Amino acid sequence: MEFFIAQVLNGLSLGSIYVLLVTGFNLMLLVAKIIQFAYPQFVVISMYATWAVLRATNNVILAILVTIVVSIFLNLLSEPIFRRITSIKGTDINATFVASIGLSMVLVEIMSHSLNQGFPISFSDNWVGGSVFRYGIINISRSSIFAWVGGIIVVVAFFYLLYRTMVGRLFRAIAENRHVAKLFGIPIFKTSIMSYLIAGLLGGFIALLLSMLIGTASPWLGESVALKVLAVSIVAGLGNLKGGLFVGLALGVVESVAIGYVAGSWSNVIAFVIMLIVILAKPKGLFGAAVE
Amino acid sequence: MNNNGTTFLKMNNVNVFYDSIQALKNISLEVAKSEFVVLIGANGAGKSTLLKSILNIQAPKGSINFKGKELTKLHTDEIVANGISIIPEGHLIFNSMSVLENLQLGTYHGKKKEQSIENIFGYFPILRERKEQTAGTLSGGEQQMLSIGRGLLSDPELILVDEPSLGLAPKIVNDIFDILVKLNNVGYTILLSEQNAKKSLEIADRAYVLETGNIVMEGQADDLLNDEEIKDAYLGGSI
Ligand SMILES: Nc1ncnc2c1ncn2[C@@H]1O[C@H](COP(=O)(O)OP(=O)(O)OP(=O)(O)O)[C@@H](O)[C@H]1O
Ligand SMILES: [Mg+2]
Repeated sequence: MEFFIAQVLNGLSLGSIYVLLVTGFNLMLLVAKIIQFAYPQFVVISMYATWAVLRATNNVILAILVTIVVSIFLNLLSEPIFRRITSIKGTDINATFVASIGLSMVLVEIMSHSLNQGFPISFSDNWVGGSVFRYGIINISRSSIFAWVGGIIVVVAFFYLLYRTMVGRLFRAIAENRHVAKLFGIPIFKTSIMSYLIAGLLGGFIALLLSMLIGTASPWLGESVALKVLAVSIVAGLGNLKGGLFVGLALGVVESVAIGYVAGSWSNVIAFVIMLIVILAKPKGLFGAAVE
Repeated sequence: MNNNGTTFLKMNNVNVFYDSIQALKNISLEVAKSEFVVLIGANGAGKSTLLKSILNIQAPKGSINFKGKELTKLHTDEIVANGISIIPEGHLIFNSMSVLENLQLGTYHGKKKEQSIENIFGYFPILRERKEQTAGTLSGGEQQMLSIGRGLLSDPELILVDEPSLGLAPKIVNDIFDILVKLNNVGYTILLSEQNAKKSLEIADRAYVLETGNIVMEGQADDLLNDEEIKDAYLGGSI
């Protein structure tokens, strides 16, 4: 039982990373109308930035700032690429999916050749932090607490933005009906840029929390994460922000519990089989898709 | 027709195409400040297309001038910011949002804040009662009121109203038309599109008649009301 609880707690920290990832992913899906498969790659590159700054300066504040700036910058930089693709007559959201897969591959190549000579990086113990609470085999690390608390704060702030501010209303208006939003003079282009910016900001937080939680990164981290983010979004219902919260957390827990009881690599298989069953039973996702 | 010699809205030789289909053909039309102009036409005549072309939704060819600015060069959001808003056909609103949120969205371009949400509740008290309600669950008439309220909140000078009577009971239609007259009386310029020719000619100053993308007649609303051809085609014979 204790072991189970320990795995659930681990799963919740991993889950809160998935939640943040799928939230950024869904936001761009809803507002910018893109399937941004390379979004987790930007998170991984931002983790490399954290690592580089920490190694060079050991300055935590600077590392945090640089990570966030790099993440925002990368996401904004991708905007013209996707805009170019979506502005071609006859293309739809699938074109952005294919393009982002390509982008993702290119980024993996670049990282595996030029960042730390392709070797995985690992973060210092100072950054990762040790255990803060121990009860039998239940061991709560500082990074888990950061992931939980950080996850909750960021999610609450994000939903506050979405439901209580003008920018959030613009996001939801465009997500609900682009055509009507345009008729009413809502600036689609400017608001879309805002969605990249917010997703970038989220990505910065994710990079920080994830680097503490797993203490390492490699050029190949992003792709496995991207598959999960996509799966979470589909299982919850594409673009369903609230559904993503639940399914993201659930995936973290299922994966973590599975790791506890079967050989490591099977945990992915188990998680994906469960999601496959869900999607067969509910093709539009557990909570209903918010986009076609 | 023009106040102080400056043109307000002036469309000159405007053509609009949907791919290869031409929906508007050489449209030239003027609206003076504070005027109430109605656009009459049957289904598919091009009324909605004309109103949307002013907002540069379906890229118009030709010239559309509003207070000295060439609208065909501006994006829709810039045009709205310049003082034109549309109350679209089918009282389109954001169904999943509350009444209040729809109105708050309306204020996005409202820089002068001449209209406040409080004022809108003054025009439409029912909206105050329903402000937390999901807009999609309002009745058709209430949605139309919300749509008008939302449109006013961007502080427009010119309001484009697209077939507000569509699908509404006669009593509600009368209410809506009364509101349009009221708005015109307090200074809003109105360009209304309608199939309900009789009613709209009774309240408008001037009218244009649109047939398959062409303006086939224009004149004072009173004159058109008594025109034999108009009577036959749009007013249900000379009854
Ligand atoms: N998005 C579109 N794609 C292709 N053709 C269109 C489109 N919208 C309108 N049309 C065509 O343009 C013409 C004018 O349509 P429009 O909607 O402007 O007419 P309308 O006068 O507003 O009609 P109604 O009274 O039925 O609203 C019609 O022949 C219509 O089929
Ligand atoms: Mg129409």
